Amino acid sequence: MSQPSVISRRVATNAAVSLALVAGLAACAGPQDNGGGGSGGGSGASGEPQKGGTLTVLNSNPQEDFDPARLYTSGGGNVPSLVFRTLTTRNRENGAAGAEVVPDLATDLGTPSRNATVWTYTLKDGLKYEDGTAITSADIKYGIERSFAAELSGGAPYLRDWLIGGADYQGPYKDKKGLDSIEVPDEKTIVFRLNKPEGEFPYLATQTQTTPVPKAEDKGTKYEEHPVSSGPYKVVSNENDGERLVLERNPHWSAATDEERKAYPDRIDVRSGLDSAVINQRLSASQGVDAAAVTTDTNLGPAELAKVSGDKELAARVGTGHFGYTNYIAFNPKVKPFDDPKVRQAISYAVDRSSVINAAGGSSLAEPATTYLPDQKSFGHTPYDHFPAGETGNAAKARQLLKEAGHPKGLTVTLTHSNDKDFETSPEIATAIQAALKKAGITVELKGLESNDYSDTIHSASKEPGFFLAHWGADWPSGGPFLAPIFDGRQIVKDGANFNTGFLNDASVNKEIDEINKLTDLDAAAQRWGALDKRIGERALTVPLFHPVYKRLVGQDVKNVVISDWTGVLDISQAAVK
Amino acid sequence: MSEALLVQEAGAAPLAAPASGARQFWRRLRAQRAATVAAAVVLLLFLAALAAPLLSALAGQDPDTYHPDLVDSASGGVPIGSFGGIGADHWFGVEPQTGRDLFARVVYGARVSLGVAVAATFLQVVIGVVVGLAAALGNRWVDQVLSRITDINVALPLMVIALGLLAVVPPSFPRPVLIALVIGGINWAGTSKIVRAQALTLKSLDFVSAARLGGRGRWSIARRELLPSLAAPVITYAALLFPVNITVEAALSFLGVGIKPPTPSWGQMLTEADTWYQSAPTYLLLPAGLLFVTVLALTVLGEGVRTALDPRAASRLSIGTGRKQRGERTKERAS
Repeated sequence: MSQPSVISRRVATNAAVSLALVAGLAACAGPQDNGGGGSGGGSGASGEPQKGGTLTVLNSNPQEDFDPARLYTSGGGNVPSLVFRTLTTRNRENGAAGAEVVPDLATDLGTPSRNATVWTYTLKDGLKYEDGTAITSADIKYGIERSFAAELSGGAPYLRDWLIGGADYQGPYKDKKGLDSIEVPDEKTIVFRLNKPEGEFPYLATQTQTTPVPKAEDKGTKYEEHPVSSGPYKVVSNENDGERLVLERNPHWSAATDEERKAYPDRIDVRSGLDSAVINQRLSASQGVDAAAVTTDTNLGPAELAKVSGDKELAARVGTGHFGYTNYIAFNPKVKPFDDPKVRQAISYAVDRSSVINAAGGSSLAEPATTYLPDQKSFGHTPYDHFPAGETGNAAKARQLLKEAGHPKGLTVTLTHSNDKDFETSPEIATAIQAALKKAGITVELKGLESNDYSDTIHSASKEPGFFLAHWGADWPSGGPFLAPIFDGRQIVKDGANFNTGFLNDASVNKEIDEINKLTDLDAAAQRWGALDKRIGERALTVPLFHPVYKRLVGQDVKNVVISDWTGVLDISQAAVK
Repeated sequence: MSEALLVQEAGAAPLAAPASGARQFWRRLRAQRAATVAAAVVLLLFLAALAAPLLSALAGQDPDTYHPDLVDSASGGVPIGSFGGIGADHWFGVEPQTGRDLFARVVYGARVSLGVAVAATFLQVVIGVVVGLAAALGNRWVDQVLSRITDINVALPLMVIALGLLAVVPPSFPRPVLIALVIGGINWAGTSKIVRAQALTLKSLDFVSAARLGGRGRWSIARRELLPSLAAPVITYAALLFPVNITVEAALSFLGVGIKPPTPSWGQMLTEADTWYQSAPTYLLLPAGLLFVTVLALTVLGEGVRTALDPRAASRLSIGTGRKQRGERTKERAS
């Protein structure tokens, strides 16, 4: 099955709200290719990786909107990152090391000043586009500016929220003067002026919006057909809006300026629009061109995993990875009886994580979660289990709490979930919770909603149900984009998309978020995020259920499978077929 | 089976099947071996559905309890043991990922699948007979309006409309009832067309004219003269509609707009099982096999009913005529 990556959709309290929502939703259905599976795990053929050959990519979602302004990626994306270089990028290493941010076009992660409100970057020497012309800092400024144009929407809302004047800027087509808060004092330097301290700016600079775009080549919405490459590959053909995308070497890309992309194959052939079952079948058969094939958007589902684990040859070709992602139960404390912390705690105690995990595909595809933050160091994961339910739930403790809350005969509640077959917020998970809560005297009625309806309902401050399944993924591997949108009281949106589903508005929490955002030491910030998560967890506004594990097959000739904790999936820039 | 074919077959049923009585019908039905077997199978399935709680209790299981210990969590939740975990405790094995007992789910699922089909068929017959009779007996204007409505109903794509309706109706409405209403409410035109055509023909026959000349009212004629003669084609058509309705319910559940979990239905089980065909084949084969057997048995039974109600077909096949059958058959073959 495929798990389209869901990237957190952060929405600020400014005018960009509705636009940001549309952008976020579009991104989720769209082309990004993170999310999905493998870390440090198995790999295909052995031996030293060599240059040459064609790597085939079998995907279900087409590479629509192949324009750096429009892509919503985490860390620059997978296929996009072959063509688009960015100021910074993710470290292309296995496991936890891969969750670090590293320089790409820039010489370092940026120099902060004035309390992390000003960020200065210097470009490396010898950077060239596919036509041999030099990449300048003005092109990066222009690339960011065009992402503000309404017709090129789709990216994350952070630049609009953070850059001074970003909220009102309409893009370079309408406003030729440009955005004053991005300065280019010379061809190699670019300076960003932010409206508040943001110590995590280097993470944001990994997104494709910081890709240089030469103004002379900009064709507006047509630019996606042949975006000018700054990376190791250039677009040779793009059919049916990204359904078939063929990339070949960019002769002007220099490995000396790029420590991250290995670029072993000569050619990358991306074929999309395939059914996820077909992709997994073709990868497991590994015949013809499929022997040198990978997927950047399709995971193994439970049934497919059952088949693969019984076959040693196949099992050796499975990559395993962890993406920063949490599936959880959310409460709306404005709806009775969930206004009572004891009721929320009772449900926390009653949850049977082992049957929830089985419903999500079993222990190989999901790991139990008792913290809201993903269990990775870069998020500052601080272990806690405030309402220990054990593996299978503590029904006795739940009953006792219900009695104290004035429900000695139990409760009847409605659990809202989506009807998507995604093993995340889907009916299987809901029924597993229903069965567990029954033991604690809680009768759960299920209310399944279609995909869009579900998303609209849980993110509407007026329509939000009291008790529902939810999930959250990271725009980058840090506690910031995980905690702030959900628990910052100033991000409660009355009309429009609201992600603070627990309506938490606590002055001390808000203040701590501001304080952490000032930190430019990312490790120190991570620790503080972890501590904040533990504190918020005491309120039982959510019941963390599980963190997904991604498993994906690769063809038998594929070598050098690298899976970072940033994306949790095979990094296509590292794969070799010879 | 296509609807056109159904209409045609049922239309071939006798015009004025003499009210030969239930006894003769049973005799003719019993004389057909295939139909007898089919009837036994159908009866067994209905009994199993009715006795679902009893049967589950007998097996010591219920359809909703999770058994996480019976599946291999590390391998995607595939049932532990051969043939999907079949054993003394779990007669049909357990469901992958949840470990729920499949025997209990199958018998409870039969309730939904058969119940919905019974209700939907009943609705189709009632609406069809009322509309068809009204069209045949009403004045030209009534006939025109009703016939056009029937034509529109024939043209409605059942699955598309059902998908739309089921997606719109709030989830609080009981699903099995809703599905029965939707199938029954959309797919009644076949019955109505047959009833109208038969009633129009019957209307011109002597015994109906006699009744009319005798001063009897329209409804009295419809009830006393027409309905008994319409029974044969209507029952025949209903018997053929029933299996179609089962498959429609299965298809709707398969497409995700049918019965909501955790209530089991065969169609819904098929949906869940479709990815498991390689790693846990029994899980898929159970609902698929049961649907196949049920629909086959019902279709054979429907055919048997049609034959039993059609005196010409019955005599052609020498069924229930009391004559020696063997000799007749040989003669027929020889000719």
